[in-house]
Amino acid sequence: MLIIEIWASFMVLFGVLSLIVYNVRNYLQPVGFEYEHVWNLDLASNQDTLEVAAKLERALQRVKAYPEVESVSRMSSNTPFSANQMGNSVTYNKVEVGADFYSTDGELSKTLDMKMLKGRWYQESDRVSKFVPIVINKAMEDKLFLDEAAIGKVIKVDDKKSFKVVGVVDKFKSRGEFMSDEPAVFELLAKDDVWNANMLIKTKPGTDANFEAKLVKEIAVMLPGWGIEVSYLTESRKNRQNLTLVPVLIFLIVSGFLLTNVALGLFGILNLNISKRKNEIGLRRAMGATESRVTTQFLGEIWVLASFSLLLGLIFAVQFPMMNVFDLDSEVYIIAIFAGIVVIYLIVTLCAWFPSKQAARIHPAVALHEE
Amino acid sequence: MIRLENVEKVYRTSSIETLALNNINLNVKKGEFVSIMGPSGCGKSTLLNIMGLLDAPSKGYIEIDGSRVEQYTDKNLAHLRNQKLGFIFQSFHLINDLSVIDNVEIPLLYRNSSAKERKELAQEALEKVGLSNRMKHFPKQLSGGQKQRVAIARAIVGKPEIILADEPTGNLDSVMGNEILNILQKLNEGGATIVMVTHDDAMAKKTHRLIRLFDGTQVV
Repeated sequence: MLIIEIWASFMVLFGVLSLIVYNVRNYLQPVGFEYEHVWNLDLASNQDTLEVAAKLERALQRVKAYPEVESVSRMSSNTPFSANQMGNSVTYNKVEVGADFYSTDGELSKTLDMKMLKGRWYQESDRVSKFVPIVINKAMEDKLFLDEAAIGKVIKVDDKKSFKVVGVVDKFKSRGEFMSDEPAVFELLAKDDVWNANMLIKTKPGTDANFEAKLVKEIAVMLPGWGIEVSYLTESRKNRQNLTLVPVLIFLIVSGFLLTNVALGLFGILNLNISKRKNEIGLRRAMGATESRVTTQFLGEIWVLASFSLLLGLIFAVQFPMMNVFDLDSEVYIIAIFAGIVVIYLIVTLCAWFPSKQAARIHPAVALHEE
Repeated sequence: MIRLENVEKVYRTSSIETLALNNINLNVKKGEFVSIMGPSGCGKSTLLNIMGLLDAPSKGYIEIDGSRVEQYTDKNLAHLRNQKLGFIFQSFHLINDLSVIDNVEIPLLYRNSSAKERKELAQEALEKVGLSNRMKHFPKQLSGGQKQRVAIARAIVGKPEIILADEPTGNLDSVMGNEILNILQKLNEGGATIVMVTHDDAMAKKTHRLIRLFDGTQVV
């Protein structure tokens, strides 16, 4: 029974720790872009279907013209820290990789201050080329091209569209710090595009809400009947973080309760076990066992029991890195396994320490005469 | 070998104070076989516990082999119990989950003897009590007399100089009781000092000296 209880605790711990390790490791990796002073202007044409592309272009030029604005970039609705996602699979040399797709213009790398590793960001002049120019991130390059260099390679999406890689950026964790470094593809927006109506605006430091009000007012005059919404990336980032942290916290609280219950159960069982074995304790003391020897014996017994449970748990836990469950880095599981083992040994030691100490303090003459 | 000087033992609870032993002066010489008798509750077992360093006197002192032990630490007392004393109890106090040989090996565990040495000494002790054919048995598979013989083997396995027996025949019939007494006599002839608590006059008469207790006081 005790073995099952410790085993179950280890499995729960392993799950929670895997989640924590995964998130902490992601958090320690940079997002790969600057979000300070960047606003997201979300435009919705609503019922307006007349010259939408031209209107969007005029709005873009107007925003660009403000002295408070450093740069502006049009982007698909999956802007940084938003809840939107667009994915597709890309094939090259029979290797297929799923990636996040972002439709943007030539200004995104400047607006988000993204770090180019190889090649360049696409430009307006790239529109005349035979293939749609794309920029990919390092994770995409590593997964799709393995050991080959990505620049200049033509890749296929859905066996229809062909793209040519013109640049490689470092990381792009659009869903925030807790996102893993996943493959990303940045595709040049079509000139007549009417669907991707978000603008990322990098403002100059010190730009305040007065400008926001002026911007919204003037765009509303330019685009009557359109929906206009401004959000700050710093705020979106906080919301996004909460979306990740809240479930982790809930898991932590639930597993904390579970572990406390297990610890209390263990404590109770050990107390009962020791009170049942008072005769034996007295006998061992009479035969020459010191107090510390009795304590060590009881601790040793619970460690042996915990080791059996952990061995059983390990049989299950090692399947996760071996079978690449949830496509997580095996290191995440290995760290979680080791941390789980340490926590279980700590819990059983703490739970066994007090009853073992109590057992050792029982006077041998008293222990021998208890039935 | 064992000397008790003005030993007094008082048990105290929040409301009651019980005088279990009063001014006991006793000297057990090396090689003696002493029996302690007295009615139930007169303090026989308390006296044996104090002689066996399982309990401490409230007053007075005890000397084992010329050394006073009142200042001894837990570690020193445990060492002394392990090296010099062997215990036999009325209810045997065998550990049911351990085999006969494992039970006999217990005192040697606290001497850090090797497994081989432990096994050899335990076999030798079991041979002395005539139980070499029951080594792999468990206590529940043994009769009362056999259990007590295992307990004796456990008491003598470390070759202690003193054996303290608390009513060793109390749970046995007369035939078994005599067998156990014969073993104890042989051990005494072999040089062991034995102190035995008993209710049985006939058993007590077979020892060298009889100490009688009444209400915690030594009367003979």
